[in-house]
Amino acid sequence: MEKQNYNYAIVRSFVVWSMIWGLVAVLVGVIVSFQMVEPGLNFPPYLTFGRLRPIHTNAGIYGWAVGVIFATFLYIVQRLCKTPLWSDKLAKFQLYFFNATIIASAVTLLLGYTTSKEYHEMEWPIDVMIIILWVVFGLNIIMTILKRKDEQMYISLWYMMAAIIGVAILFVVNSAAMPVSLFKSYSAYAGTNDANVEWWFGHNAVAMALTAPPLAMFYYFLPKSTGVPIYSHRLSIIAFWSLIFMYLWTGAHHLLWTPIPDWIQTLAMGFSVMLIAPSWGSVFNGYLSMNGQWHQMRENYLVKFLILGITFYGLQTLQGPMQAIRTFSAFIHYTDWVPAHIHMGTMGWVSMICFASIYFMVPRIWNREIYSIPLANLQFWLILVGQLIWSISLWVAGVLQAGMWNAMNSDGSLTYTFMETMVEMYPYWWARAFGGIIYLFGLVVFIYNLYMTVKKGEPTAVTTATAEGRV
Amino acid sequence: MDLASFVYLGVTFGLFVIFALIVIRTYNKKNKDKGEVAKYNMLDDD
Ligand code: HEM
Repeated sequence: MEKQNYNYAIVRSFVVWSMIWGLVAVLVGVIVSFQMVEPGLNFPPYLTFGRLRPIHTNAGIYGWAVGVIFATFLYIVQRLCKTPLWSDKLAKFQLYFFNATIIASAVTLLLGYTTSKEYHEMEWPIDVMIIILWVVFGLNIIMTILKRKDEQMYISLWYMMAAIIGVAILFVVNSAAMPVSLFKSYSAYAGTNDANVEWWFGHNAVAMALTAPPLAMFYYFLPKSTGVPIYSHRLSIIAFWSLIFMYLWTGAHHLLWTPIPDWIQTLAMGFSVMLIAPSWGSVFNGYLSMNGQWHQMRENYLVKFLILGITFYGLQTLQGPMQAIRTFSAFIHYTDWVPAHIHMGTMGWVSMICFASIYFMVPRIWNREIYSIPLANLQFWLILVGQLIWSISLWVAGVLQAGMWNAMNSDGSLTYTFMETMVEMYPYWWARAFGGIIYLFGLVVFIYNLYMTVKKGEPTAVTTATAEGRV
Repeated sequence: MDLASFVYLGVTFGLFVIFALIVIRTYNKKNKDKGEVAKYNMLDDD
């Protein structure tokens, strides 16, 4: 095959920066988990739970997940299209602007500037920065796809394009606001409309940032790691289009039992349940791709990350539709059950896939063998155990909380005061903080392993089994 | 239900029709081989 002059320098930079922001996200996450069990750890005005929590979520989504999305998309698009990036200059601009945007977000959130819309807290000047960033990124990827060598587009490219277009539409619509000063704006929508638009954005951010991109990575890195193609490309295409068709109607499942019209809630509920099909279309495709290759779960650490990742995706997409049913929602909504759902998704599904993707790319973009595969295996177990402790303890807490909130005496009065229900949460919140520390430790092992790979790793011939993860 | 609700449902239904056409095209026997080419090509990008 003709040798291409791929731009790996930019991929390397995004890998490094995404890991830095990932570390910040998890570190701040651990800090806020301790603030919840020990309120004395809040130091007003800057270092309080209220200010640090959005820094944790935004660093996690926009710094870590989006950072890895940038790294992997810029890598995958060149490989799949067998052509270098459309513009190296734009990619470089994207790198600097990405970090400037993340830093500006962190600083303004620390100073207390917020729109108070979840996952869209940053004020309007930063919205403008995010839109510029996304346009630059999207343009570069789409123009590279347009000059591809193969006519047929592999499924990862479809998911990448959906993510680019989807995030752009969602973000722009939800950003509509009237600025009244440099750091204050009011939403263009009022009342229930505002809530409906916010959760249409919120849930589809899950779809377009935390589902489509990891699926693009999964479909690319699984066959690359195992050396065998995916089970069915046509199944992946159908799962893709049905996912795109269904996701957009589900946002209102975050607003069940609220004053938004009942029929919108019912529509959201119906579509959420239907979403099981496309989600499991990808899960089955992943599992069936492992036919005859299951031994690689023991031999290939990349496959372990990828298969556990898709398994958490499967669990997440069974639990999610359940939560979207009115009766179930009445029980678990507002309880600690929901953060457990989120963290199975983010720490399990999204991050497992991100770790595998980075492990796969590093030997190829730095031309170094992974420093230590035992350390990669250790990291796998640390993040798995950390995440399970996190999620399981809060599922139990959520059910307990819901039970206590709903308990009534024979005269119809509530059995427990709100404070009594809070006090019961402490052991579970301690367990969550402990799980977070284990996860953080796993992340530190990951970063150390990659640092040593770059510093001391053996030069690699990228086609060797080790570089593919098969050792 | 007001006009806006009907438009909302109309768009949903319109998209469903497009989706159904995509399924028919993808699983059409004529496109069977073509539909699977990409999964082999992607392995060959090294
Ligand atoms: C079939 C797919 C899914 C459905 C139907 C679904 C459904 C839901 C529902 C109904 C809620 C609201 C729970 C409540 O507050 O009562 C929720 C919350 C959430 N889900 Fe999922 N989920 C799905 C997959 C995922 C995936 C793959 C992720 C990836 C990380 C994810 C991340 C989240 C997040 C971040 C929230 C929290 C939103 C908040 O802050 O309130 N979900 N999901």
